[in-house]
Amino acid sequence: MARYAMVTDLMRCVGCEACTAACSAEWDVPPGHARTRVLPSGPVGEFPKLRAAFYVAQCNHCDRPPCVGACPSGATFQGPDGIVKIDPNLCIGCGYCVPACPYEARYLNPVTQKVDKCDFCAPRLERGQAPACATTCPAHAKFFGDLEDPNSEVYRLVYGRGAQRVETDQVKIGPNVYYLGARGEADLVREKFPPHPPRIPSAGQWWERVFKPMAFLMAGATFLGQAIAFFTQLSKGESQFDE
Amino acid sequence: MSDRISRRRWLLGTATLTGASPRAPATATPGQRAGKAALQIASNCEMCFWRCGILAKLQQGKVTRLEGNPQHPLTQGRLCARGNAGHFTLYDPDRLKRPQLRVGARGEGRFREISWDEALDWLAARLMELKQKYGPESVAFFPHGVGSSFFATLMKAYGTPNSAEPSFAQCRGPRDVGYALTFGRPLGSPEPLDLAAARAIVLIGSHLGENVFTSQITQFAEGLARGAKLIVVDPRFSTAASKADWWLPIRPGTDIALLLAWMNVILSEGLEDKAYLAAYATGLDELREHVRRFTLEWASRETELPAGLIRETARAMAAAKPAVVIHPGRHVSWYGDDTQRARAMAILTALLGAWGRKGGILLPTPMPRGQFELPPFPEPKRGRADGAGSRFPLASEEQGVTNGLVEATLTGQPYPIKAWIVYGQNVLESLPQRERTLAAIGRLELMVVVDILPVEQTLYADLVLPEATYLERYDPPHIVESAARPFITVRQPVVSPLYDSRPGWWIARELARRLGLQAWFPWRTPDEHLAKIIEPLGISLTELKARGAVSFEGRPYIELRRPEDGPLFPTDSGKIELYSKLLKELGHDPLPVYRPPSDPPPGWLRLLYGRAPVHSFARSQNNALLAGLMPENAVWISPVAARSFGLRDGERVVLENQDGQKSLPLLLRTTPGIRPDCAFMAHGFGLRAPGLRRANGRGASDNALLSRVAVDPLTGATGMHVNFVRPLPAEED
Repeated sequence: MARYAMVTDLMRCVGCEACTAACSAEWDVPPGHARTRVLPSGPVGEFPKLRAAFYVAQCNHCDRPPCVGACPSGATFQGPDGIVKIDPNLCIGCGYCVPACPYEARYLNPVTQKVDKCDFCAPRLERGQAPACATTCPAHAKFFGDLEDPNSEVYRLVYGRGAQRVETDQVKIGPNVYYLGARGEADLVREKFPPHPPRIPSAGQWWERVFKPMAFLMAGATFLGQAIAFFTQLSKGESQFDE
Repeated sequence: MSDRISRRRWLLGTATLTGASPRAPATATPGQRAGKAALQIASNCEMCFWRCGILAKLQQGKVTRLEGNPQHPLTQGRLCARGNAGHFTLYDPDRLKRPQLRVGARGEGRFREISWDEALDWLAARLMELKQKYGPESVAFFPHGVGSSFFATLMKAYGTPNSAEPSFAQCRGPRDVGYALTFGRPLGSPEPLDLAAARAIVLIGSHLGENVFTSQITQFAEGLARGAKLIVVDPRFSTAASKADWWLPIRPGTDIALLLAWMNVILSEGLEDKAYLAAYATGLDELREHVRRFTLEWASRETELPAGLIRETARAMAAAKPAVVIHPGRHVSWYGDDTQRARAMAILTALLGAWGRKGGILLPTPMPRGQFELPPFPEPKRGRADGAGSRFPLASEEQGVTNGLVEATLTGQPYPIKAWIVYGQNVLESLPQRERTLAAIGRLELMVVVDILPVEQTLYADLVLPEATYLERYDPPHIVESAARPFITVRQPVVSPLYDSRPGWWIARELARRLGLQAWFPWRTPDEHLAKIIEPLGISLTELKARGAVSFEGRPYIELRRPEDGPLFPTDSGKIELYSKLLKELGHDPLPVYRPPSDPPPGWLRLLYGRAPVHSFARSQNNALLAGLMPENAVWISPVAARSFGLRDGERVVLENQDGQKSLPLLLRTTPGIRPDCAFMAHGFGLRAPGLRRANGRGASDNALLSRVAVDPLTGATGMHVNFVRPLPAEED
């Protein structure tokens, strides 16, 4: 099986947001939200000794993804290829996984009321196409492929050229998005945009936002089912059951 | 990963598509003709003027996605944010939908919707009337973009020489003139820079990265990845500066001093490309003598850059020669001496032997194009009113001087201009001195705007004609000679025009018919027009339309040239003219001379402006996807300046300029990435157009603060980096 990974070369990246636009167009992401974002560090230092880099952020499809455990409905899961996906049919829109992600890669879609995030463009992969962001990037800064394939570009960039993960001593969950930069861009990104520890909901929040709505939903469904059965029976009469 | 599968599928799809019935009506789209078989249609983008290759994906007759066309020789399947978002402009509910005739006062925005027949009859009658009363020269045309060529033909046939686009006098005119004076050729667009193979790249105010032209970014990133040294001269720590080996935060307006000092170092240390100059250049002795006095110490005082840094960067360029790209810039109308600055950059390029060399500037490879036999255009009785070729001796008569036409409209000199026809540009945002533009409009008897969105200028129009967007229309093919491989790309409709909009070619031709000028439009369908142009290229219409772009063998380097490519340096002398006799004859400096800029007085900042990567000019701010990425602009100033104004990061401010003009409120951002004597903002915001519901009043317009210009005497270009501003707390307003 594969282990999919993305490498972003921050020396090449010019922060033009073509990736964000392509992704948003591909996946109907509502304005103000994104599955992949470009965050500028802005100039850091004292004039004129300055440095800057862009953090191209997206789901890291981590080896130990805290979002999977935070999801109460089982909607978030990780496939054998490492891709963390959300099953929209199971997602109840509780939003628990959103703060659980140390990389802030998830958002609650206000239109669908489901949580959404990067899935490495899984449907495109199935059609034999690369993810939309990597396909469009004018700077050729994004490389996608299988980290278990020694012939892949990402293998070469990670094991040969030392592309780095954005990890800290506190947060080490095995992200599979890597960053390259000849001038310490990855260090600057780690410094300016460190992952935060996963925020897992407390028991009280659980009750308030998952169990209670689900309980009401189930109680409501039971009642509704009863009602439907009752009226169906009423309209059809009882003769059928006599037979 | 590979997209080979999809490409094959795409070819299949287009093959079906182009084999469809040739009897379909001219305005029908390929999509319609092919029915469900049309999966993707190739065209080129118009979100800016780089015209990258696109593939429009359709579902049930709607564009669902725009992706890059891998067949395009320059962009190779890549697209910027704007290109990816093009269909959000196509489906923008704020679009102009039907022809409108003004019923209220100018600027009031009250219109009556009318039919195309009524609109065109009305316009034709007005144009006939103006021709009789004032002569055809009284009508001025303000075009922009490849689609304007049909109107250009119409205007010439009508008999007016007065056409001017901002791409000359507000943009790259001085550059093209400066390089043509030196090498005999302008650079054209896209700029033929061999960035991917360069070993040194020099950017003088060019903010690649914030300024995104897809293939230029591809090649820039490729050059850097291959180890090219990068020298960035910019008062601001731009994206490019963050990738630079050397950032030179120059005192604004002193670029010529830096360029002269660089030449001084190169010539005094004997680092120039001697063999190249001996073979191809003239005027080296005069240049050597001229730059002798421009020492490092002198330049250091003028530019406020360390002398050592100037020397080090000069040597770095020389070490990389001839594979050096001194980026010629694009929007270069800054200080009124812009042609001379372009000359200095061209001369430096020549000293490094980079013109026509690998890793330097590419030479164009001529491409033939077919032409219809048209009747001769009527000779205008009066010459151009904008001063191109007279008052501004080196201004392009093809592209014209926009501000010259505004001036003529205001003063009635050399003769009155009574009507403006504006196509594809927004004169209130593209021309500086907005108050003058408005005053000129106030004097017109007729103002016609052909546009796709209700931008501010439509409020002042007598007649507004809604054009189809680039995704709904045919435009002339884009033929590019200045590239490693010269190529042709097509613009074809991917869906039928929405609402009651019409393609530009149709509007121009219908108008021509009503004016009795149909002889200049001797083709019935866009296909017929396209077929004629590509006749000498030996490619089939079907293939071109299916692939979207076709490229040919190029001869971009000196050693590859053939006699049929014409003279290497088509100057008067046939050589690179380091010293310009022509400039001397015209009474101008034959070698570039530095004149110090006037600095902002205490308490004021020099206003600099530039691009944001997700927007084009002032035309994309209402696009839902792009507005989501960047809904408004901010002004950058240094923390030092902010303290002196008593302002803090994140406050809302208005900018006031030296003439008391005030901007709309915008966000203040403090950053160490700018000199303390400058303010910077992205162009294109602060639009005052209620019809643009998303963009109206968001952010501030730099253009509204450009009440002062320094006019380049050679080209008429308006230098616009000469305005000073101060930020005031927004509450005061």
